Amino acid sequence: MYPDVEDAELALRIGSGTDREAEAELFRRMAPRIRLYGLRHLREDQAAQDLVQQVMIAVLESLRERRLREAEKLASFVLGTCRMTVLNIRRGDHRRQRLLEQFGPQMLQPVGPANPQPDSEHLERCLRALRERERSVVVMSFYAEQSGAEVAGLLGVSEANVRVIRHRALHQLRACMGVAR
Amino acid sequence: MSCTHPIDAAILADYWSSALAGQQEEAVEAHLLGCAACSTLLEQVAALIDGVRQVARSGSLRMVVSEGVLERARREGLTVREYAPPQGGSVQCTVTAADNLLIGRLAVEIHGGQRVDLVYCDPGGAEIGRLPDIPVAPGCGQVILQESITFAKAAPDNVLTARLMAQEDAGGERLIGEYTFNHTRSMPGKAAW
Repeated sequence: MYPDVEDAELALRIGSGTDREAEAELFRRMAPRIRLYGLRHLREDQAAQDLVQQVMIAVLESLRERRLREAEKLASFVLGTCRMTVLNIRRGDHRRQRLLEQFGPQMLQPVGPANPQPDSEHLERCLRALRERERSVVVMSFYAEQSGAEVAGLLGVSEANVRVIRHRALHQLRACMGVAR
Repeated sequence: MSCTHPIDAAILADYWSSALAGQQEEAVEAHLLGCAACSTLLEQVAALIDGVRQVARSGSLRMVVSEGVLERARREGLTVREYAPPQGGSVQCTVTAADNLLIGRLAVEIHGGQRVDLVYCDPGGAEIGRLPDIPVAPGCGQVILQESITFAKAAPDNVLTARLMAQEDAGGERLIGEYTFNHTRSMPGKAAW
């Protein structure tokens, strides 16, 4: 285990030979972040899990073959790989099966679930505690996925004002739920 | 696990709901891929947003909504029951077990910049609840009010009057719309009160 080793150092160790522990540690760190990227862009958990596998395979392959010249740029490299892979997924690319056969499924276990869902009843009380405008902006933004411009038009305020209301409400909800840092 | 330049939770919420401009979104993503602390915070924010969606789907909040909210609910297969009482008039209404959202469309003309409160009154005209400073825009023509479906499903036969009250700069308030809902219980079982 390399809990205190920088990401760049892990990349170097992977490139210096077959360091399976370094590879496992990199997977442990990067997989949740890649999954979030996938959920944000693909909006579906299974697709996000697939993205994790495809990206990690491509990244490990590159590191093993020392194709990343500057280890400090690992995060940028992973992000670039995420972007390319999402494009490929959208194009219906089926490279995954071939790569899974090459690397084996044991390392590429699905990432565990993200944070547990907040208590619905508690959250409902927190939503009730918001001002009317804040509650409406939160529901229009996060449930209906209406843009800031749309919500601004509905409320007769500026887009910047909607952003302020949304941010204030988000902080109040987090504080009410006891998760604000 | 710490971060020297943590991203604010509200910015992460904007990122999660696709509300950031292109360059800002790219900067956030570049940071997230290299930062465990901010990724963990994003997971919390994403879970909170998902929780908000679940509460919205439950129809349990009494609040002003938009056509966009109703469209989203219908796309998700939810059943939306709507009533549109005439201004100054009344409507017979109910709610069934199959309904997910209960909506009242209150026709009204709103003029520039005035604060509007929504006041609930009993059949005798006494105020029993108030939503202060509801979100309305001049010229919108209506207020789309979501009544709590949980409350409505538990309710006995009752009469509820909703009043839209413009708040005057000099103090006091002025009635700009009144709508009466004559609710008949059609849910099986006894009412909750």
